[in-house]
This record gives sequence, structure tokens and C-alpha cells, in this order.
Amino acid sequence: FNMLSGPPPTWDMYSQPQRNWMPGEEPVPVINPESIVRCRRCRTYINPWIQFVDQGTRWKCNLCYLPNEGIIIRLLPKNGNILVPSFFCWDEQNNSTNPLLRPELTHGVVEFIAPQEYMVRPPQPVVLLFIIDVSCNAVKSGMLAIATRTILDTLDKIPNADNRTKVAFITVDSSIHFYNLNASQNEPQMLVVSDLEGEPYLPCPEDLLVSLTESRSIIENLLERLGGDMFKNTTNSGNCLGRALHFGFKMIVKKMLNSIGGKIIILQNTLPNVEDGSLKAREDPKLLGTPKEVQLLNPASQFYKSLAVDCSRSQVCIDIFLFNSQYADVATLSGCAKYTGGSVFYYPNFNAERTEDTLKFSNEFSHFLGKPIGLEAVLRVRASRGIQMSSYHGNFFLRSTDLLQLPNVNPDNSYTIEMTIDENLTGTVACFQTALLHTSSSGERRIRVLTLALPITSNIQDVFSSADARTITTLLTKKAVERALTSKIEDAREAVLFKLIEIISSYKSNCTSSGQSMQLLVPENLKLLPILTLGLLKSMAFRDTNIIPSDMRSYVMSTFYVTSVDTNTCQVHPRFWSVQNLHPNVGLPGEDGSIVFPPLLNLSSEKLERVGIYLLDTGFEIFLWVGKGVFPEQCNLLFGRNYEALPSGKFTLPVLENEFNSKVNTLIEKIRQLRTTTSSVFPHLYIVKEDGDGGLRQWFLSYLVEDRQSETLVSYPQFMQQLKVELAGVSAG
Amino acid sequence: MYFIFILVNSFEEIEDRDGVRLSWNVWPSSRIEATRMVVPIGCLYSPLKERPNYEPLPYEPVTCKAPCRAILNPFCQIDVTGRLWICPFCLNRNPFPPHYKDISNQNLPAELLGAYTTIEYILSKPPALPPIFLFVVDTCIDDEDLKALKNSLVVGLSFLPQHSLVGLVTFGTMVQVHELGYSECPKSYVFKGSKDYTSKQIQEMLGLHASPAARPQQPVRPGQQLPPPPQNVGAGRFLQPVSQCEFQLTTIVEQLQRDPWPVANDKRPVRCTGTALSVAVGLLETSFSDTGARIMLFAAGAPTEGPGMVVGNELKEPIRSHNEIEKDTAKHLKKAIKFYDALAKRAADKGYIIDIYAGCLDQCGLQEMKGLVNFTNGLMILSDSFATEVFKQSFLRVFSKDSKGFLNMGFNATLEVQTTKELKVSGLIGPCVSANKKGPNVGELEIGISGTNAWKLCGISPKTCVAIYFEVASQQPSVHAGTRGLIQFVTYYQHSSGQFRLKVTTIARSWVDANAPDIPASFDQEASTVLMARIAAFKAEFDDSPDVLRWLDRMLIRLCQKFADYRKDDPSSFRLTDNFSIYPQFMFHLRRSQFLQVFNNSPDETAYYRHVLNREDVNNSLIMIQPTLMCYGFNGPPMPVLLDSVSIKPDVILLLDTFFHVLIFHGETIAAWRNAGFHEQPNYENFKQLLEIPKIDAQELLVDRFPIPRYIDCDQGGSQARFLIAKVNPSTSHTTNPGYGVDAGQAISTDDVSLQVFMEHLKKLAVSGTS
Ligand SMILES: [Zn+2]
Ligand SMILES: [Zn+2]
Repeated sequence: FNMLSGPPPTWDMYSQPQRNWMPGEEPVPVINPESIVRCRRCRTYINPWIQFVDQGTRWKCNLCYLPNEGIIIRLLPKNGNILVPSFFCWDEQNNSTNPLLRPELTHGVVEFIAPQEYMVRPPQPVVLLFIIDVSCNAVKSGMLAIATRTILDTLDKIPNADNRTKVAFITVDSSIHFYNLNASQNEPQMLVVSDLEGEPYLPCPEDLLVSLTESRSIIENLLERLGGDMFKNTTNSGNCLGRALHFGFKMIVKKMLNSIGGKIIILQNTLPNVEDGSLKAREDPKLLGTPKEVQLLNPASQFYKSLAVDCSRSQVCIDIFLFNSQYADVATLSGCAKYTGGSVFYYPNFNAERTEDTLKFSNEFSHFLGKPIGLEAVLRVRASRGIQMSSYHGNFFLRSTDLLQLPNVNPDNSYTIEMTIDENLTGTVACFQTALLHTSSSGERRIRVLTLALPITSNIQDVFSSADARTITTLLTKKAVERALTSKIEDAREAVLFKLIEIISSYKSNCTSSGQSMQLLVPENLKLLPILTLGLLKSMAFRDTNIIPSDMRSYVMSTFYVTSVDTNTCQVHPRFWSVQNLHPNVGLPGEDGSIVFPPLLNLSSEKLERVGIYLLDTGFEIFLWVGKGVFPEQCNLLFGRNYEALPSGKFTLPVLENEFNSKVNTLIEKIRQLRTTTSSVFPHLYIVKEDGDGGLRQWFLSYLVEDRQSETLVSYPQFMQQLKVELAGVSAG
Repeated sequence: MYFIFILVNSFEEIEDRDGVRLSWNVWPSSRIEATRMVVPIGCLYSPLKERPNYEPLPYEPVTCKAPCRAILNPFCQIDVTGRLWICPFCLNRNPFPPHYKDISNQNLPAELLGAYTTIEYILSKPPALPPIFLFVVDTCIDDEDLKALKNSLVVGLSFLPQHSLVGLVTFGTMVQVHELGYSECPKSYVFKGSKDYTSKQIQEMLGLHASPAARPQQPVRPGQQLPPPPQNVGAGRFLQPVSQCEFQLTTIVEQLQRDPWPVANDKRPVRCTGTALSVAVGLLETSFSDTGARIMLFAAGAPTEGPGMVVGNELKEPIRSHNEIEKDTAKHLKKAIKFYDALAKRAADKGYIIDIYAGCLDQCGLQEMKGLVNFTNGLMILSDSFATEVFKQSFLRVFSKDSKGFLNMGFNATLEVQTTKELKVSGLIGPCVSANKKGPNVGELEIGISGTNAWKLCGISPKTCVAIYFEVASQQPSVHAGTRGLIQFVTYYQHSSGQFRLKVTTIARSWVDANAPDIPASFDQEASTVLMARIAAFKAEFDDSPDVLRWLDRMLIRLCQKFADYRKDDPSSFRLTDNFSIYPQFMFHLRRSQFLQVFNNSPDETAYYRHVLNREDVNNSLIMIQPTLMCYGFNGPPMPVLLDSVSIKPDVILLLDTFFHVLIFHGETIAAWRNAGFHEQPNYENFKQLLEIPKIDAQELLVDRFPIPRYIDCDQGGSQARFLIAKVNPSTSHTTNPGYGVDAGQAISTDDVSLQVFMEHLKKLAVSGTS
């Protein structure tokens, strides 16, 4: 939680309500209360920042300040006259406890198991509908085979508490193919629907969406056949994804009286080209780098957006995996994910014959399928009186001003809330509470309540010293994505820059004496803000260039829009190490048990020595730069071959019997582990040879954001100089 | 005596040779005289009637020049020296083809010999594609019935020639077209049941891009395989040679499940028969034009969804009755008939046969769907369930084979009629559609399917029998008595071997002067009865039944006025000669038959009975019109008895054959003895035999019959005995003849007039001369 100050004062609350827990973190206490104690007026959940008043007979809400009665009052001799709900005094074993030690009153984050009144119907089971492209491109690229193989290998990892999980498969070319997976059959039955006009209909009422457990063997059978010969000889180049989504939506939503919701997972290798939702290859290199580029970054039609909004209302989330070898229209298709809390994965030019492509996709897909999901969630945000929610960023559908609809809560996705202070705050702390009502993949209805209190100060210096550069950058990133899409990329860049100047000048005018004006003053904790901002401006999303295909630009933007602070920081400001002369500790667990990395290097090509080997973690991919003067023995140790024999591009580092190789392998593995856990990305490893493939070199060097890369992509010192000039302008004006 | 005399007479000899029975076997030379004869000149013709010991000729026929195209026949004048023949139809002189150069009066080709008035040619045209069998199977059916149907289908499949193409469409709420050429897993295309798909939509959705299958070039012998059409493209994916898909298709059929869509207690299952048939026709239409194909519909109930819906799916809405049809209040009827007739025309145009096998207790919409079978000469089998013997055995008989191992079914036939110029064609009544051929011999009168001299029969079998009606052209006698008029029937069809064949029958009859005694002597009262019955049933489809009955009565009275001997106004003097004598009795039974009296039957049954009448030959039709009754007793050998209530006695066993039912009736006494177990005692061997003989005779009746009749074994007083009571002449009914003793026969409660009363009226009206 961080605050971003400046006129008008805005606050940024950043929430990743379901994030993956890293090892060593204390788990969130789970409470199964008789009932949940909430403020009578504003429905705030009882939390550590409430105050007991009136000799403890009532509690005062820390958001609206209403004194609330206890639900069941009981005198507790030991603690004076504090009156609290009686169940506060007993633990689950019926032992008398100190009510003040209840987790609700001691933890900022708690999770309630929701009682009956929080459910309109039994908790939703995990429902997965796979919509798989089987047009000839999907078969040729090997996507179909790898995807089905991965699903097959991951079946045991798919959340399936109490065997309630249901799955369905639809394959798509110019027709839609359903599969009857009734457990009593020997083999799946393929049902082809090619009547794509009019109201969607299902070819049979049951057996399309089946229990993963009961129909396990027939599901395996289907997956083997799909990846095998079923479409081996297809010549069908059509794809009717739009209609398939309508039909699939009907299957998981209209099937029962109460919609059951679920997750649609699209694996797409072709641009949809049949019936509703068909798209055109609209990439136009002439537009790249011009103000009109933004046309390509916005959806070509509203079809997928409006479908996504319908899905969201019915608790259906869509995740999309794109494998196109040509134009994929990420901008349009990512709309499916954007409004349903889903994710976008993009594997341009996927080719299963390349081991690296297969490895990356199957790792990501398998992680994706195996991770816990929160279902049919709503996120409510409350704050102390005087604080208003002004805007939200992230993949969801906003149901009302303080209620976010999230068909799926994806641990990778974060949600950012901007707040404004619209009246003078009273008291000493401002409180925020987010409550996420969701169904866990274990089938329980749960409420995760997160309450935070921040001191209120009249001293702006305190505000600055509590601000966090990385969070500010993340917020700026999300705002910039929105700005770019609604206006143009150039405007987004200007807005980012303007915000940076605004912050610094506000600091300067409020917190420094005027005599120091020639110096660029930034509080210690915001020191990184300029370089992060520069990185953001040079990132694939906002870089001023005409060589980034719009699909890639869209993909990066859609990623930026949802990533967490840690990932985002790495994406705009990669981590850069020399691996040439590794300290003995590197690659081994350090004092805190985590693997020791070499010291970080500045993102500057000055660091590149001709004999050096460097590792770069960009959040999306990993690069190994090999200087052309690399010592032959080092090269051999690391790669098992000499420099000349080393290829450029995607690479699998061999595992060799030497320390150097194993340390680098450990580092790469650690990075991948981190990425996979935090953002479901399994980064490719690229070998970049100093005198190798020019494009690849350019790509690598584009991440060295301190360098001057072109007229507009200035060096870090130049950037700081520009800032000073601008600030002087602001001061003068 | 009013029996059908199974005599060998000249009419039947002719029938055996040419498959033709004429109402009149000499013809009056003027139109007026022909009109006075009341019963039109007409014939019942079985084009493919089997004629033992006659082999088809393996060469092309010699034909007259276009446009006549008549075929050389024994009635042609030939000039041996000039190597010429004169066409009797157009009088053109035609040279014989070069290879007939050795012709002489002692060395004539078969087609000129008197014994070959009917002859069959095997044409040299390359053989057709193998026949196609497309099963269209209703899955809204209870499990037991489905099981029985599946068994029959699997057995049926094993009877199909190995090279024939077979396909499967199943339907219920939706239509599924099964792709048999797909080996990876069961695969089907699913169509919405409620939608009226166009042919083009169906083809696009099935991925059929017009790729006409290649025709194989070699001639075919039984058992020999034709090269199948390509199997992984177009319609070949859905229609595969039996030899290749038998295992897969059998597996699919065996695994068929009841339609999975839920059916509420107050609802009928959703059944989209119309859409299923339209998809089936659409499947064949692009790739298999003019190829013999048989679409076999297995229906377990009435269509309740989509185009061709016959009844809504609310159970509280009853299916239409004759009453509602009469009052024009049957709400789906017209729309459904329009849909099925249009579909039937589409199928007929392409040459596809549509069969309906109905296995259900209630009506299943035959009244609406009848056009499908009647236009394409399909089969209609009506049974209470697919588990009955009626269905099981009838279905197997569909696949019966001839002595050479070929199916007894031909495809895609055209029947064309040539006449010498004094005779013109009025029309045809039978299971076919008009081929719209306007020739000079197309007459002015319209009887049945008229305005053409050629008709298309998508299916044709040795049993197929059509009624063709003629008129005399000239108002004035224009031919000399003693000359002959000729009719030539030319049937072109696809034999089930794939061969194209031409069957030609040429008949000649004499022209005679008005009032010549030859005219009444040439009257075939049996053929005439059937010809009139077909007209009456045809009329009844459009007119109210009382109108049809009045028309029949009028025609009968006029015939009697013209041909009976009587003194004016003296009914007792009324006499009919032998060859008219039983005609009034036939008319009496026809009037009260199921063909014209609809109110004892459901609309579906009426449609079914009329369908059968429309295709059977003279003998079978007569059994339907006037059932036969055999009596078995202790007082002599089994003998035919009157179809009259006087024949019902306690001490006899009766065997009734109505064509649709075969019924064994045990008199009260016989039943009592049997119940007492007398037949199991050694000294009552003769009683045991008496019980068994009718059963053996009944089995014999069943041997050749199609569809298999319903077999009923009943006792006097039992409820099943009503089938007999309904058929017999009510001579002992209380209203008409209270004087008869009870032991003389069973009294019948009926409003019907008895035959005796009917005859009295007839005589009175005939002799009065005022009709
Ligand atoms: Zn409150
Ligand atoms: Zn001629």
C-alpha cells in the first residue's frame, strides 16, 4: 500500500488479493466463525483498527466511526467490561480464549469461511472449458499436440477438491466440435456443429461438461486422440472462434437454471475467420511509430469485449493462449481476458519442433492449469470517510463504484485502485479495507479481508518519505496503458513524464529550501523513480520506434496492465548481472536461505566487456550475452562448445559437470521459478552473441535503458538533464 | 357363389406372361361407345413381373426413329427381303441394323417371336453406382424397442450387398449425420431439429462440395465389387461400402442411445422427423444425383418439432383425427403435408426411394408423410413396435434376393407408354410421379397422375403394379373392326446389379363395333374392380367419402343397366352373365372397406391401407377388398365359405385373410373342447389335426406376403374376434334379418346394409332405368 501524492492528492492502493504465497511467509489465518461481525452502517468487517468504546460495550467502526453493538454480549471478568460476541471467547475446541487474541482483531489479513448467508447457491465447482483451435495451422505448428499432451500430463494438478471439477472440450475449425465424454463409453464421441447461424445450441444436453474424476479415462482417451491422428490430415484453414465462444458460453452458463460459471481457456493458432467474431489481418507497418499506431492497439471490433462483459456477468473467465505465426490481433482477442479477469499468453511463431518453444509453453500452461483459482469473486473496497475511489486498473468488470466483478481471481493478476481525498480527514489514521468474496478452488466460499491503516499527516514530507518508487511506477504503467489506448502512445509517454516532473517539483517546492534549486532533488526512497520511468518509456509498450509489431505491443500492454509491482519493476528495469567471475557464494543459498545472485549491474552497455558473459532478466525473457572475446575455456565450461559453434537465439543451456555451468543454470532456474510463480511466465533463454544475429543484439541492447539508443530514446544522464530543464520551467512558471 | 375363383383363365395366362390385366380385352371403336361401357379401358401392369425361364437379352433393342422411339416387337410388320420393319405406332419404315442382315422368316430374333411380347434388354451403358441405403433412425424410443430396432438394423446390414453404400442419420431433438469414413472416433454432424435447412445449407454444413462420384466402367456380376467412390471427401465420408464400414456401422448402431434430451411428464419427446429427412435428402442430393438410393426412415412416433411437425409436444394436444381433418381443424396438417410433399418431390426428382417403418402404438404422422412413400414407391410398414414380428420379418423381406443373388429391387425407373393413334393415355394411379412427357397420345381425360405418357418410379420391384387408364380417341368409329390397337410399355430402370435394363411389353387388342357381343365377353371383373378401387381411393384423397361412395354406386348401376339382362321395372328378372356376376359383390365390399370407410380407422391407418392398395396386383388387391374366409370342420375338407355372418358357427374353425390380417377363429364349441384339452388325448387325433391345419394354411399365406400380416388367433366371443365380425357381410344382423335362427350364424350388430339388401336395391335401380 502506498500513497502517491501531488495536487490533487491521489492515493494508490494496490492489491493482489490472491497472490501466491512465497515460502517462509506466514499463512493467512482462516476463520470459521458462527457469524461475521460487521459494521451495521457501512458493512466494514471487524478488524484490528476498530476501537472498543463505552467501557467496551460497543465497538466503533474505523471507517465510518459508527459505534456498533456487539451481536451477543457477554461479560468477561478477566478483561474488564469488554463486550464482544460470545463466540469470540471460545476457540474451535471450545476452550475459553482471550477474545482480544481473535485473528479478526490481531491480523491485517484474515480469511473467513463464509456462512450460509453469503451464498446464493452452493459454491461453484471448478469448471474448465478448453476451446482448442484445430485448423491446419494449429496442427502444423504442433500446438495441438503439445497443448493436449500438456493437459493430459497436468490432469492431476488441476484443482479438483472433492472431485467436483468439471471439464469440457471444444475444438474449432470452420465448424465447432463438441465431445461427449460420458464415463460409460469406451471412446469419446465427436459431435460437429456447423450450423453457426442464429441462437447457439448444444448437440446434446449432458455429457459435454463432465466430472474430471468420473470421466478421467475417456478424457485421457480424447486428449491422446486429439494430439494424435484426429486432425492429422486436416486441410481446414477456417476458424470460428467467435461462434465457438457463444456456444461454449451457453454450455457452461445456460445449461442449468443457475449459471454455474467457470473458466474458458482458448488455445488459438489462427486468426478467427468464420462467422461472427472473424477478424482481418490488419497489421499495417506504415502505421507503426505514428500517432495512428494506436488504431492497431485497439480492438478491431466490439465483439470480444461485449462477449467478455456477458461472460463476466455470468462468472465466466476467459484466458487466451495465442500461437499465431502471422498476425494474431492480440489487441482484439485480449479483450476476452481483459473484462473477465483472465490472462493473455502469446507465443508468436510457435513451432513445437523447437524444444525451447515446447518447453516454455508446456511449463507455462501446466503451471497455469495447476494453480489455485478463486471463483465467482467480488471485490469490495472501503475506505475511511473522506476518501473516494477514483479509478481502478486491472482485468475485471466494474459493477459499481466500489465493487469489482471477478469471475476468476487469478493469483498473477493485480488490481490497482486510485483514491482521492475529497474532504479533510479526521483522526490519526486513514483506513482501507478490501473484502474479496470468492469460492476457493477447494469449493469453499471465502472472504479474504484485508485492512490497512495509514497514519494521517499534515506534513507532506512524511508523505514523500513513505512513498514507494516501484509502486508509483506500477501505477504509472497502468495509467499509461489506458492513456495510450484512449489517446496515443506519445501522449502516454508525455503523461508519464509529466507525472514524474509533478512529483519531483511538488517535493521540491514543499520539502526543500529554494536555494538548492539547481540540484535535482529526489527523496531517498524515490531515487529510483527517474530510472524506472525511463525504463517504462523505453519498454516495448511505450518505446518510440516503428519496429515493434502491434501484436507484440498489445501483448506487452495487456501484461503491463495486470502485473504485480515486483514483476513490473523487472519488466521496466531488468536485472542485469555479469556471470563471468562469480563469487563462490553465487548460485548457493545465502544467509536467508535464498539463492545468492551476483551484484546487479547498471543497465548500460558500458558494462559489456568483450570477454564477458552477462545475464539479463527482463521479466519476459532471459538473455545470455556472450562477448566475442570470451575465454574459450569459459565458453566451453558454460555451453559445452566453443564460441563459433554457439548458436544465436532460443537456447537450452546444457547441464554440465562443472561449477560454472551449474551456477549459471541455478541462476536461470531461480529466475524462471520466480517468474513462473509470480506471473506464470517461463522465460525463454536467448543466447546473444556480440557479433551474432543483429536483430537479437538490438533487442538485448534495447533493455539497457541507461544507454542512448536513438534521438528520442535518450541516455539516463540525458534524461536527468531533461528533467532538470523541465523542472526549472515548472519552477519558473 | 361369391368366391374368388382361382381358375386358370385366359386373363390370368396373359397376366403371367405380360404382367397385364385389362378391364376390357376388346375395345369399341368410338369414344361414345367406350364411355357407355362405364368402366374405363384400363390395365393393371406389373412391369417387372417375374417370368421364369426367360433370360434378359444381352443386347440393345432396335428402336424406331425419334421422336417415336417405339421398340421392335412381335406385332411389327417386317420385310425380310428389304430388311425393313414398319413401326405400328407411327407407321414409319425403319431399316434393320446391319447385324440383323441374316434375318429370315425362319431366323427371327427373339423380340419378333410371339412368345416375347414381354422382353427385357440389358443395355450396354456402363453400370450405375452401387445402390445406396441410408438409414434414418428415430431415437425417441424406449429402450426395449430401441434394442429390437438395433438388432434388426444390424441384421439388415448383413443382408446388403457388400459393395452397396450405406449411411446413418439418427434423430430426436436434433439430427445427427454419422461420418462413417472417420476412423478416429465416432463422429457425427449435429443439426438443429427446429430449423428448415435448405439443401445448400445442409451441403455446406456437411462439407460436401459438389464432387460427383466417378462411375465405374466394368460390368458387374453378383458379388463382384464396384470401385467405391472416394471416401475421405464429400459424401463418401458419410456413405461407405458395406464391405468397409460394416464393423464401424454395426458398432455405432449397437451403441445408439435413446435421445438424451429430457422429456417432461406432460410432454411428448421432441422429434424432428421432417428435418432429419430433409438432411438425409440433402446429404445425397449433390453427390448422388440419379443414383439408386433408398432412404429408410424408422419412426417411433409422430414428428413434434420443426418443419413437418404433426402434433405439438404437449400431451394434452391430441393428434389429429379424421373428424378434425374433415372439419379442417387439424392445425398442423396442411403445413406438414406441404412440407413432406415438397420433400418427396425433391427425392423423386433425384430418384431416391423413401421407406417408412413405423413402430409405434399411436399414430406417427403417415397421413402427412405418405407422399414420401407414394411418390417414390417406397415401403410403408406399420407395426405397434419394432419388437413385433410384423416389423422384424417384413424388414428382412425388404432385402430378399432373386435366384441370381440380386436384391429384388430396381431403382430409378421410368415407365413410358406408347399407343397406336386411336388410343390415348388418361393417366396412371400408382406409386410414382409424372415424368412430364407430353406425347401425342396424352389424352384429354384426367385419371390419376395425368397429362403425361411417362412416369418415374424411384423404386421398382417384381411386385410393383400400376394402374393405367386409356381413352378412345375418336368420336366416330375410325378403325375397322377386326384391326388391332397396340400398347407398348417401356420400362427403363437400374437393376440392383448396377446394370441398366429395358423391359418392354407390347400388347394388342381388337377393335370392335359398338354393341358387339365380344365386348361384355371381354370384361375382366376382377381387374375392373381393382381399377375402380384405385380410382375411388385416389378420389377419396381429395373428395368427401360420401361423394366417392355415390360415384361408385352410380357407376355400378350404370354398368348393370348396360350389361345385365332384365325386363324394365322387373327386379326379379335381373340377371348378370358369369363374367359380371361377382362385380356387384366386389363393389359392396369395396364400399365398406377400410379404403373408403375412414371412421373406424385412424388417418394413419387409412393412409397405410390406401398406400398398399396403390401398389399391389389384382389378386392381392381383391383379398384386401373382399377378404377370403376358409372353413374347417368335421363335416368335410376345408372349404371356402361366404364372407358372411352365416359362416360363423360354434363347431368350426375359420381362417380369414384380409391381406393385412390373418385370423384364425375358433367357434365356441371348438374353443371349449380345446380348453378341455381333448386334442391332447390319443383318441381325439382328428381334433388335434383340425386345430393344426388352419395354422399350417395360415403360415402358407404368410410366406409370400409383404408386409407380413398381423396374425391373430382368437375364439368366438373373444375381443380379437371383432376383426372377423367387422369384415363379414351382416346378413344376420338384427336390423336386417331378425328371422334367421341363432344357430344358423352369429347375429351382427351393425348399421350396415347387408349384401342381400344391397343387391335388392341395385336390381331395383338398375331395372328402373331412371338413374
Ligand atoms: Zn462503519
Ligand atoms: Zn414409330
